[in-house]
Amino acid sequence: MSLFKVEGLVKRFGALLATDHVDLEVRAGEIHALIGPNGAGKSTLVNLISGLHAPDAGRIVLDGVAITGLPMHRRVEAGLSRCFQITSIFRDATVRDNLLLAAQAHAGSSMRFLRPRDAEPALFETAQALAERVGLAGQLERIAGALPHGAQRKLDVALALAARPKLLLLDEPMAGMGPEDSERMTELIHSLRSDMAILLIEHDMKAVFALADRISVLVYGRVLVAGDAATIKGHPQVQAVYLGTEELAVEEAAAA
Amino acid sequence: MTQDKHASAAARWTPWLALALLGAFPLLAPALGLDFYVGFVRRALIFALAAAGLNFILGFGGMAALGHAGFIGVGAYALVALVNAGVDSAWILWPAAVALAAGVAALIGLVALRTRGVYFIMITLAFAQMLYFIAVSLRVYGGDDGYNLPARPTLGLGLDLAHEPTLYWVVLALFAGVMALLNRATLSRFGHALTGIRDNETRMQAMGYPVFRLRLAAFAIAGAIAGLAGALLVTNNSFVSPAVMHWTQSATLIVMVVIGGVGRRWGGPVGAGVWILLEEFTKQYTDYWHLPLGVLLLLIVFLAPRGLVAVLQRKPRAVIAASPAGATE
Repeated sequence: MSLFKVEGLVKRFGALLATDHVDLEVRAGEIHALIGPNGAGKSTLVNLISGLHAPDAGRIVLDGVAITGLPMHRRVEAGLSRCFQITSIFRDATVRDNLLLAAQAHAGSSMRFLRPRDAEPALFETAQALAERVGLAGQLERIAGALPHGAQRKLDVALALAARPKLLLLDEPMAGMGPEDSERMTELIHSLRSDMAILLIEHDMKAVFALADRISVLVYGRVLVAGDAATIKGHPQVQAVYLGTEELAVEEAAAA
Repeated sequence: MTQDKHASAAARWTPWLALALLGAFPLLAPALGLDFYVGFVRRALIFALAAAGLNFILGFGGMAALGHAGFIGVGAYALVALVNAGVDSAWILWPAAVALAAGVAALIGLVALRTRGVYFIMITLAFAQMLYFIAVSLRVYGGDDGYNLPARPTLGLGLDLAHEPTLYWVVLALFAGVMALLNRATLSRFGHALTGIRDNETRMQAMGYPVFRLRLAAFAIAGAIAGLAGALLVTNNSFVSPAVMHWTQSATLIVMVVIGGVGRRWGGPVGAGVWILLEEFTKQYTDYWHLPLGVLLLLIVFLAPRGLVAVLQRKPRAVIAASPAGATE
């Protein structure tokens, strides 16, 4: 049951082949992790999928709909929502105003000029519910930029959740987090899986193995291997390029 | 984003007081020997209108357009073209000027809004220059020499626009109406989306906002308001020349918004008023009025980097909890 499919995706930056004929499949209800060493092209792939960059070739299909050529906001409409590796929130606004803006995006047109937004209780209810979902209900009046890092990451996730996506793209949600925050973010992501499929890009291997149903390994812009956690852990090349110690890599080289 | 929620009582009645004083001015002016200044304040109100429109896209939308006088010109010449064709009702002339300016702004926006930063400044300037040279080349309407209105447009309803105070009150009413609409718009869904785009465009796209369409709508609204200002300016002066749309006029409008307060509710009008007053006073003392005006502007920018309105509002900031949002908790 494939929900989301990437086929033969290519992106070049000059002579650099940042995304090299990538195929990827996320099944309904699945948490699919995308791992790979620095510079493997993970962020490029995320930006291609979310529509920040245009691919040079290939197809992206979400729930039977080709979204390859759609602008970003139409992809969100189609059910694809994302978070950012570098926290992307409205820093000068309160948490509530952040969430209100997210709620408004999915509650009818924003081409309404005269009625004050603050006179729409439905938006405030949605904002409240989003805050509760990610554990920020007590912080609604705080200025987003003044929150601790972990809370800002949660807010970033909440802004993406407002779209009620079919597929949620999480670009290194644990980036810059200590072990405690990581743990809490892992719990949060785990709690989301009943409502949406998740494509998780993450460096924190503990979190990846705790959460992912399947894992794709990206190296030099290409998918080296895809499979469940056991397959990936046991795959000699993966150990060599990514997980492995130097020793393992040397052994691998000797064996080959 | 939340500035307006902290508005104290003083901030709420100040605009009404200002409106009352402005409304009474033509009645008091003769007694004070200030008759001449009725026309002067009227002109200031018209520029305040244009500056408020520019502040909507510059301050709330983050679009530094350096071609706003071009839309004033479109409105002005739309009126002139219709007058030249025999139309004399303000009910047709003014709405036509607004509609044409909005349309031209939308077309220019289709191209210009694909760029950002310095490129956006340059491309809006380039379009405004094109409009300027079109006006210069329009021989029918006087080209460089400009065009004299044979008479002021008619309004009906027993209002004679040739009567100076009447025109003043009509301009004031339009100004107040547009300000009321703009201030509502900044608090609406559209206004929140617009400031969201200003603060974090990528995130707004990622949340599903049709960013381009929203910015285009704001740009066309600002163009429409500039068009109204242009039509009122010709009505006021009974004359127009391409000078109204010279690029230095566009720059002056930006300066007005900056000294008033970028993204402040009353930043445009306050800035326009202060600028035009300063211009008037320095002109009374010297022909070389640019220099003292420049020095005064430097002082304002150094002493009030966030605009004069920000200085006037620098008061208690402890009423955050009293926002209407608090009611839903």
